[in-house]
Amino acid sequence: MKLNVNGVERSVESLALTSLLVVLREELGITSPKAGCQQGGCGACTVLVDGEARRSCLVPLAAIDGAAVTTVEGLGDPESLSAVQAAFHEGYAAQCGFCTPGFLLATHALLAHTASPTRAEIERALGGHMCRCTGYVKIVEAVEAASGGVR
Amino acid sequence: MASEVLLPTSPAEAVAAFGDGAGVTVLGGGTIVMPEIAYGRAALGRVLLLARSGLDQVTRSDGAVTIGAAVPVAALEGGDEPLASAAAHVGDPEIRAQATVGGNLCAGPGGEAPRGDLQAPLIALGARVRSTGAGGERVEPVEDFLAAGGGRLVLDVSYDAPDAAGYAAAWRPHAHHATILAAACARSGGQTRVAVTGAGPHGLRCPSVEQALAAGADAATAAAKVLDDVDPPDDALASAWYRKRILPTLVQRAIEEAR
Amino acid sequence: MKAVGARLPRYDGVAHVTGRTVYVDDVRVPGTLWTKALRSPHLFAAVTKLDTRKAEAMPGVRAVITHADVPTNVYGHLAALGVPADEPLLAEDEVRYRGQPIAAVAAEDEETARAAVDAIEIEYEEREPLLDIRKAFDPDAPKIHPWGPCYSHYGPHDHRRIRKGDIGRAFEQADVVVQGVYRPQAIEHCPIEPQTGLAVPEPSGRLTIYSCTQGMYFSLGVVAAHLQLPLNRLKFVGGTVGGGFGGKVDTATETVCALLALKAKRPVKWRWTREEEFLCSSTRAPWHIEIADALTSDGWILGRKTLTLHDSGAYTRFSSYAVTKHAFHHAGAYTIPNIEFDGYVVFTNRVPTTAMRGFGVTSISFAVEMQMSRNAEVLGLDPFELRLRNASRIGDTTPNLVVLKDPSSVPVIQAMAKEIGVELAAEYRGMTNAPRSGELLPEHLLSSVAQNGKED
Repeated sequence: MKLNVNGVERSVESLALTSLLVVLREELGITSPKAGCQQGGCGACTVLVDGEARRSCLVPLAAIDGAAVTTVEGLGDPESLSAVQAAFHEGYAAQCGFCTPGFLLATHALLAHTASPTRAEIERALGGHMCRCTGYVKIVEAVEAASGGVR
Repeated sequence: MASEVLLPTSPAEAVAAFGDGAGVTVLGGGTIVMPEIAYGRAALGRVLLLARSGLDQVTRSDGAVTIGAAVPVAALEGGDEPLASAAAHVGDPEIRAQATVGGNLCAGPGGEAPRGDLQAPLIALGARVRSTGAGGERVEPVEDFLAAGGGRLVLDVSYDAPDAAGYAAAWRPHAHHATILAAACARSGGQTRVAVTGAGPHGLRCPSVEQALAAGADAATAAAKVLDDVDPPDDALASAWYRKRILPTLVQRAIEEAR
Repeated sequence: MKAVGARLPRYDGVAHVTGRTVYVDDVRVPGTLWTKALRSPHLFAAVTKLDTRKAEAMPGVRAVITHADVPTNVYGHLAALGVPADEPLLAEDEVRYRGQPIAAVAAEDEETARAAVDAIEIEYEEREPLLDIRKAFDPDAPKIHPWGPCYSHYGPHDHRRIRKGDIGRAFEQADVVVQGVYRPQAIEHCPIEPQTGLAVPEPSGRLTIYSCTQGMYFSLGVVAAHLQLPLNRLKFVGGTVGGGFGGKVDTATETVCALLALKAKRPVKWRWTREEEFLCSSTRAPWHIEIADALTSDGWILGRKTLTLHDSGAYTRFSSYAVTKHAFHHAGAYTIPNIEFDGYVVFTNRVPTTAMRGFGVTSISFAVEMQMSRNAEVLGLDPFELRLRNASRIGDTTPNLVVLKDPSSVPVIQAMAKEIGVELAAEYRGMTNAPRSGELLPEHLLSSVAQNGKED
């Protein structure tokens, strides 16, 4: 099967029901999506599939054969962070960082749909992502900052 | 380990691949089956993926609505009540985008949380399920489909948009909802149907409540009859005592909203 | 110090937002084996049969370990501090909590490891469990450990005791006695990163262990002790912990990985599932705290009696230390001249409890502040004024005879009032933590300003 991962065509040998999370982490060596619960409950595994935020631990490979997958590595690198990455870094929205990749990608998907979300829209869009360190306030503020200001 | 993975590309292919369902595991969005695989609990057999089956169509014509089995739960948000409210509180946006109506309808009683939140709203709407399996294709009310115990492939569900509807629920206080208990109500013309989530292994119709309403009882009196229809369980989310205490109130609110 | 007051970027921030931070599960070593553990399904049981031969013979299985493979199986986390060991790495004759590990398997993949665990033959004889710490001292309570219901190595006592002043007289002189029972419950740390360890045997004969521990040197010592290895045979590699909050001081995976790696002669990783995290990982302890305060009607606390039961779960682990810390803080931010404190580390058939953010102190602080509010309510006094009057000042002594040099009780309570918009009376607004004198030094407090008590 084939996946376009962060703009690069990759040939994938994993079995049909392998989760996208395992394909990324174990076969392709892309470790930014995390195995926080393997049940879809925490959001640490979230990636973009054809631009939409999805729990990679719940997506079987065969269902997305040929799709474009974006992980945090595809958003920006240390020399050129995306606006969302910069906002999270400057706003101290990451402490241990384990939940951060999932939050970043979910935020990208949100802002692609809704350029200036309200706080309620932000909380609803990101509400399934767990963070045990920050208490969420700085994460929400970072999303507001990335979207161009507080509403 | 799956013995075979089938990826039909049309409804007819999906029906043929499913056959009589023996030894087949159906995977709609994956939100229920993939965790079972990850935790080594799934006895898979032949796995039928519906991702490209073409069972993801929604059609509306003169108030008659048909929803394909592979339609994502997210597609119901903003649609007919009481389905829309129930759908809006399933998981989070990512889960709703991936979970399917068919999968939710067929969700077994899972762990400590009722998972088929759409079942009671569909029962309240008088929805009919079209399914295939042993004996071929069949159309039946949702409550009969659920009582029959599974083993069939859902193709679609159909209902007529109601005149009015109501939905009242008790959730864990979190953006990432787990519904403890919910009451769904839909009224068309003179008939009111009532069903509840979380009071049994799947969504359950409440005939005693419906009969009381048909006989002219007020909402509170009719709602109190719900405990004649269901015997709520004890689980980690809520005790049977708690469920029995608040269920009549939720039923009453749903009925009143559907006035 | 240039950094104080400056807004510095996190040095790991860029790595976090670019997905480059490396956690244990991200470390890739070719040939790494997967681990699964056989865990007790019972709260309390004798193990009457354990046979791993079928598991060992399975294709793809590279090592199976039980208690017999552990050079020092019973090693206490605080043994170096004189706390006697009571917890096995892998259970031998008994299991004392649901989830307790009995055996572990290292295999080529996760599915094989799971199947191998299922192939281990094991039989149990269930026993009546104890889950309520209040029942632990009943004569017919289940006996979790042969020596009794609690950890019993506090000098000559079987619990932590503090006695100061004359508690009997304080309660005789009281105008009012206010009692409260406070029961903070267990909290699951639930870090998003589950417990994960990776042990890699090196050609030199050393073991490199990638660990998410919060205490590198501590865990290094624990592994060395279990394995009876000199410290220089181990190399611990830490890094970013994906959330710990106290729960990753337990050296939860490293020793098992090390033993499997030595036996299999391959790198071995153990990553707990979220279900294992919820069901088998240690939690903050539940407590049962009873406080009785002897009060004058104008708001002085003459004396305090405290009874604390700490739910240690099935083994001591760090609980003896928790109760000691708890004991130091049971007067809170206040000076109380007459003290009777008894704190027990009580065993139940729960997962052993551990540290979590403010270990031992958060529980008693909660109880103390609730009690202070209750005192104010019963006496009909303002809750801020009651606190300020009794707040510790320079020269006051604590229950454990520490003479306070610069306690912040007074300014903090005043700041609290200001923060929530409560206007204090002038007398209270003007208070400071200067040594007590005048009206703030009634006769009953004279003994607290000079040392006059004893700690058992």
